[in-house]
Parts: sequence; C-alpha cells; structure tokens
Amino acid sequence: MKATKIRTAGSPVNGSAFILYGLIAWFVITFLIYPNINVYYEIFFSDGNFSFEAVNKLLSSDRAMRSLYNSFILAISLMVTVNIVGVALVLIVDYFDIKGAKILRLGYFTTLIYSGVVLVSGYKFVYGESGYMTKLFANLFPSFDTTWFHGYWAVLFVMTFACTSNHVLFLSNAIRKIDFQTVEAAKNMGGSTFYILWRVVLPVLKPTMFALTILLFLTGLAATSAPLILGGTEFQTITPMILTFSKSLASRDLAALLALILGLSTLVLLTIMIRFEKNGNFISVSKVKSVLVKQKINSKIGNIAVHLIAYFLFLIYIIPVLLIVIFSFTDAQSISTATLNISRFTFDNYIQVFSSMAAFKPYLVSILYAAGASIAVVALALTASRILHKYKNKWTNFLEYSLLIPWMLPSTLIAIGLIVTYSTPKMLIGNTVLVGTVWMLFLAYVIIHIPFTLRMVKASFFSLDNNLEDAAKNLGAKPFYTFRKVLLPIILPSTLAVLALNFNGILADYDLTVFLYHPLYQPLGIVIKNSTDAQAVADTKALTLVYSVILMIISAVILYFVYGRKSKS
Amino acid sequence: MRKILNLILLTITLGLIVTACGGNNTANTAKPESSAADEPAANEPVKNEKLIIYTNANSDGRGEWLIEQAKAAGFEIELVGAGGADATARLIAEKSNPVADVVFGLNNMLYESLKKENVLVKYVPAWAGEVEEGLNDPEGYYHGLVKQAILLGYNPTSYTAETAPKDWTDLYNNPEFHGKYEAPTLLGQVTPRLVVAGILTRYRDEKGEYGISQAGWDEIKKLYDNGVGAIEGEDFYANLASGKTPLGTVVSGTLDAKEEQYGVKAGTVSPEVGVPMIVEQAAIINGTKKMETAERFIEWIGSSEVQGKFAAQFNSMPANTKAVAQANDAVRELYSSLKAQALEWGFIADHIGDWVEKIELQIMK
Repeated sequence: MKATKIRTAGSPVNGSAFILYGLIAWFVITFLIYPNINVYYEIFFSDGNFSFEAVNKLLSSDRAMRSLYNSFILAISLMVTVNIVGVALVLIVDYFDIKGAKILRLGYFTTLIYSGVVLVSGYKFVYGESGYMTKLFANLFPSFDTTWFHGYWAVLFVMTFACTSNHVLFLSNAIRKIDFQTVEAAKNMGGSTFYILWRVVLPVLKPTMFALTILLFLTGLAATSAPLILGGTEFQTITPMILTFSKSLASRDLAALLALILGLSTLVLLTIMIRFEKNGNFISVSKVKSVLVKQKINSKIGNIAVHLIAYFLFLIYIIPVLLIVIFSFTDAQSISTATLNISRFTFDNYIQVFSSMAAFKPYLVSILYAAGASIAVVALALTASRILHKYKNKWTNFLEYSLLIPWMLPSTLIAIGLIVTYSTPKMLIGNTVLVGTVWMLFLAYVIIHIPFTLRMVKASFFSLDNNLEDAAKNLGAKPFYTFRKVLLPIILPSTLAVLALNFNGILADYDLTVFLYHPLYQPLGIVIKNSTDAQAVADTKALTLVYSVILMIISAVILYFVYGRKSKS
Repeated sequence: MRKILNLILLTITLGLIVTACGGNNTANTAKPESSAADEPAANEPVKNEKLIIYTNANSDGRGEWLIEQAKAAGFEIELVGAGGADATARLIAEKSNPVADVVFGLNNMLYESLKKENVLVKYVPAWAGEVEEGLNDPEGYYHGLVKQAILLGYNPTSYTAETAPKDWTDLYNNPEFHGKYEAPTLLGQVTPRLVVAGILTRYRDEKGEYGISQAGWDEIKKLYDNGVGAIEGEDFYANLASGKTPLGTVVSGTLDAKEEQYGVKAGTVSPEVGVPMIVEQAAIINGTKKMETAERFIEWIGSSEVQGKFAAQFNSMPANTKAVAQANDAVRELYSSLKAQALEWGFIADHIGDWVEKIELQIMK
C-alpha cells in the first residue's frame, strides 16, 4: 500500500496526483475517522441517546478535578522549563565553542534511548529515599528529610530533563540552518552575544520551537510514570486515571471524555500556534548560506560559567543512565534498596533473557514492525505536509485536523475501535477482515504516530525557502524530481530524526500492542511485560532493567545509523 | 544522501516482503481447512488443527513448558500472552470474529465477564467432576485448573502470628496498623481489584449503591484513608521486607520466589471468612472453527496427569483433586490451612467496573 503511494507520487501526470489524494482521503476516512467515531458512538450513544452522566461523574469527583488541574499545571510548567533547558543544551552543543562538546552531546542524547518507568527509577537511584544524593545530604545534614523527592517539584525536575529529546534533535537541526554571515555581520556592528542570540538566532529557531512547545504541552498532559512514581497523593495527574478507566468496560465513557478534554485543549493551543506560524516570516534572508562556525564566548567569567553549567547538566543526564546499566547486573534487593555490593553482581539475568533461540524472534518482529511502521508514517506525513504546504483551502484544513484525531483518544480505545470496526468484512477495505492479520498492529502503529510525525515534518516543510522550489521548476524539473532532489535533502535531517524517534517508541510498546498483535508474531513489548509482570516469580526488578539496557542499545544503534553518521558528515 | 535514500527504500521493500510473508501465514492459520491439516484426514479420523490460545499464565517458562508438553501429546498450539484484564478486553472486542480458540489462566471474575459477553461456549470436560467443589462454573462454561490464594502478608520481624492483623478489616479498624499497610490503589490490576471485592461483598445490599450498603463503602473509605498508596514500578514485597510497609497483599504462587529474592519469609494471615481464592480456568471460545480439537485440548490440559505434572514443576496448587497428591508438600501445607472465601463471581463481575470507578473518583485521595 505504501509502495503504491510512493510510486504514484513519482508520476508527474495529474491523474496520478488525484489517485494519491484519493488514497490519502481513503486512509483518513478508513483508519482515522471511521473507527474512532465508532468508538465515540459506542461509548456515548450505546443505549440510543446521549447522556451527560460521565460529565456529572467527573465534575462531582474532587480527585478527578484536582488531577485534571495538576495535569494542566504540569503541561504549562513544562512548556517553560523544557524550552529553557532545551535551548541551553542546543546552544552548548551546537552554537557556543565549548570544550568537550562531543561528549556533552552524548550525555544530552541519553533521554532518546530510555523513558517511562525506567527513566524515573533511574532518577530515583539518585534522588529517591535511598538514593545516592539523598544519602549524601543526609550525611551532611542529619535532620535532612530522606523522603524529600516527591510532589510537583520532583515531577517537574525529572520531566524537565527527560523531555528534552525533541529539542536536542530538532532544534539542533534548526540551529545549523542559521546563516553564519548574518551572525558575523551582527557581531561587526557591535552586537553583544545575548543580542545576537535574541535577534538573529532565536527567530530562526522559532518555527521548530512552536512545534516543540505544542508537543511539550501534550507530553505534560499525558505524563504517566513521573507523577505516578514521584507525585505522591499531593500531585496526581489525570492520565493514570484515563489508563485505568480505558481498561474497564464500565468506565470507558470517562476515559474517552477525559482524553477528549486533553485532546481538544491541545487543539486549541495548536490553532493559536498555527496562527503564529502564518503571521511570522521566519525564512532566513540570506540566499547563499554559509555554515555556522561555533562562537567563542569572549567574557572570561561568562565562558567559565557556561562551561560549568554545561558539565553540571551533563552529570544530571548521565548519572541515572549509568546507574540503570550498573544495577541491571544486580538483583531485586540491591535495586530496591539502591545499594551496590560487589558480591551481588551477576550475569544470570542476562543469561536468562538470552537463554534460547526463541528469545530472539520477538526482537526481529518488533524491529520489523518498528521499521515498517515508522517509515510508512513518515512517508504519509511527508505527502500530507507537501499537500498542506502547497494548498490552503477547507479540504486541507480538514485533512490537517483529521490527521490529529489520534490525539483525541487513549491508545487502548484506538485499538478497541480498530478491532470492533474491522473484525467483520467492511466495504472500505475491500470486504476483508483485518482482525487476526499482521496488518492490524502495523496500521495501529502508523495511526498513533501520525500527529507527532506530522507536526515535526510540517514544521521543517514550512521553514523551507519557496524560491528553491520555484528555481527547480523554472529549470524544468518535474515535481517529484524537485521533491526528491531539492526539498527532501533539506528536510531530511528532521525527517530522519522523527523516523528514529518513532522507531524507538514502537519497539517496546505494550498498551496498544497487547490488543492487536498476531499470535505467530509476538512483539518485544509483550515479552517484556510478561516476564516483568507482578505475577511473575522471576527477579522482575532486575529483568526490567536488563530489558531496558537491551532496548537502550538497540535505540542507540538505530539513532547512530539513522542520524549520528549523517550529522557528522 | 543517496545512500540513505537507498537504504530507506531497501528497508521499505524488505519490510513489505517480510510482512507479506506474515500475511500468507495468517491466511494459513485463518483457513486451516485448506492447509496441511486436511491431508492426514483420509486415514486418520482425528482432526489436528493449530489452536490459538489466549492466556495470562505463560510467564516464567510456563508457556514454553506447556507448548512442549502439548506437542508431545499431539497438539500444535500458539500462545497469545497478555495480562488478564487485557486478554479479557481483547477477547470481548474480537467476539464478532474471534481469533482465539481457547482461553485459559484467567480468574473466575474475568471468565464471568466473558460469559456475560457471550465470548465462551459451553463445554463440560470429563475431568470437571474431579475438580474441588465450588471452583467450576455451575453453568458449565469454564472449569478450574490452578488455585491461587490472595493473602494478607506481614513482615515476620515487625509482627508475630499473634500481633499480626487477623483479617483485612483489622488493618483499618485497628489504629495500630494505620500507615503500616499498602492500600490496593493500583486498580488497573486484577489482584487489588479482588482485595476490594473481598471486602465489599461482605456488605452486599441490593438497595445500596452498586449493590453495596453504605456501611461497606464506609469500610472501603477507611481502608484507603489509613493505608499507604502503592507506587507504580515498586515491588510491594520489597517494602514488606524492608519494613517500610510491613503489611499488604501477597499472592500465594509467588511467595517462594520472593522469599529467595528478598531474604524474608512473609507470614500470612488466615481470616475467619477465608481468603479470596482465585482459580485459573480453561474454556473454549464461542465461534471457534476448531471445536473438535479445542475440546480434546481442554480434556488434555485439565486432566489430573497434566495438572499434576504442572503442579510439581511450577510449585502450584491444582484445582483437580486427583492431581493434588503430586503438588509439593509446602504448597499443600499452605492450602490446608486456608479457607476459600465464599464469593459470588457473577455478582462481582457485574459490579467491579463500577466499584473501581467509584473508588477512583470518590474514595481515593
């Protein structure tokens, strides 16, 4: 299906363009609109008429209202803090001349290879009740409260550093597009470092930062692991509740309603941002761009301060990862008490994970699914962005908002919608049944990654210089040739970054996978959950870390191949 | 740049090829009539199609063991592993065109939901009579394999059998235990749900909210108000062992392994009303196209021979009375001191969703 899509894009004939638009329309209607509307209908109109019971239930619950409020507080806080830290990281690595920037970059990139519960437990090894930092403080100040690391500030702290992944990828790409001559000119006219940052560098970063800010808002609203583990009773957020409700038949209406609230508020923010995008003129003036040369900080004190900040941030990022790797060689007791003892080091858990050849199949299945789905979703997003970039009418508006539908529902309900809709033959898919085929999971992975991919790909599309396309056209290039030879190379770094992120996200997914996976092709997420579940008798704590380390390695390899080598050349 | 493009194209093609192959395999499993299964049919009356089996009981090598044993007995099976609640939700969603042929391992409460949603087909195996009384579905849809007890555990250095609570109700009624026990807050999981059900069903009242009297809801509120919330990603047994929360829920089947991992042997409480005894069951999916094979598989998996072997291998407690002799001594001893709490699973299955919702929205803080 994807192959035909790409092939039709290749033809310059108008007819095939129509086929392409037709395919996109079909995809949107068949997989985004129909099954999800179906879910909403089943949930809210199941007994024939709409009921406001779900709304009343939520309004009368103190806990739900408080959690909802906390989620918004967190989302808004993260929009500020992550942008500050993220921009700082990018300036340190790509703009200023900092000693050891290459190593620093590796540290700042660590958030790309692990996330969720494991990331938070990494931070707990450092700041938690029996964490190293806590022990240090307790030794220095005997009255120090060892349970200090919880609540809003703990959640905000961890998430601020955990959510900079998109910044270090996409903002670095954007900062490399800065025209060095403009920076030089500003310098020659006596502009200070700060003035140049504010007036020359920041405007170029703006389109990307807008896209990232929306994602941050959404990440804040969707926060699960950090509030669950560190929030305590005083800072609970709404998404854990949505997850519980979406798994319970009786409470699906509440889950859908809450997800709708979060989705719609993201949409409101997005609409505002799109306004900004339209009004702003972010395209660099210079036509002959020259490569950015890293800037020395002239002030000695400033230079030392920036170096100190850079290495301090590096430590914050690197220590949790190191501890996870080290503790993956220990056992449950060491992990739960955060103590290292050489006599407790063991390879048993690693041996257990790789004990049989059958253990390797899930890796292959997940890698193929992740590769296939992340490429398909990027191809789809590229095509859609191209259409959105080229035309502006009510149909493209409709297309853009339709592609954001997966933000309106928790992934469990998207999965249920697909099953309920396509477990009987449907005309839309040629009277076939999708349930029980390998395509089901593939489609679901594509569907849930569309909104994020579209946001990022579209952002890089809109920072393109239209003149390049016009010039290619004037020279007689056909549309697909122009796309492939002129436009794609410019947006490729961001596109590849999206690809890698999607890949890593799919690799160990459980929530969606468990409903849709094919009996003969068990993916990795299922295997991991299975062997680390509370009911398992193996050393689940250690196995969780072992699997995390394996996933880190796979993710790092993917990032290196897709992204790392390129950025060096 | 071109290299990367080529690489991408190559991956797409590869991906398509591999998934396409997968598609073919699917076609084979979906239409077994047309595949190899037909060939021996001429001289062999027994049909032997590959069975798709959903289960939540395949961790710790149990799945591999079963596949091997089944193969030796002439069955070809594929296990779809998923958490109990997820497997149930998937089966219900797929009911208009089921993928699975058999489901085993889930507990009574989940089987009741499946039965209510018409996911199961009635089949009473020959071994049904050998199962301990009261564990099978009286209507004949599902039948018991393995018993698990949900126990109240305590840290043996913090409490002795005398000072430990006598029942769940002691936890919140006796101020001595306040702040010392883990409250069942992770209600997305099955075990905490059963703990709640074990308390609420003692206050059954058809006129009360969701079938429970106000007194019952007051009790549950006390349970949550005076306990320590469970934290995602933490193992409760670690907190029991360290004494942070020395009291809380433990599941009988995992006790040995946890003792080994944390070096502490939890004491367990036997309340007078009994403990929630969950029984892993087996049933056939309504709409399976391989009914005959599925029936033979059910006959096989629940037989005292297979269950006995399983019990010896995995330290479990069989529901089949003829298999009990093969269970390990320590397990038999534990169960001899435990009484099963009388629970009406149909009632629980009907209401548990509403109970959880009410607790999440109005009772938890």
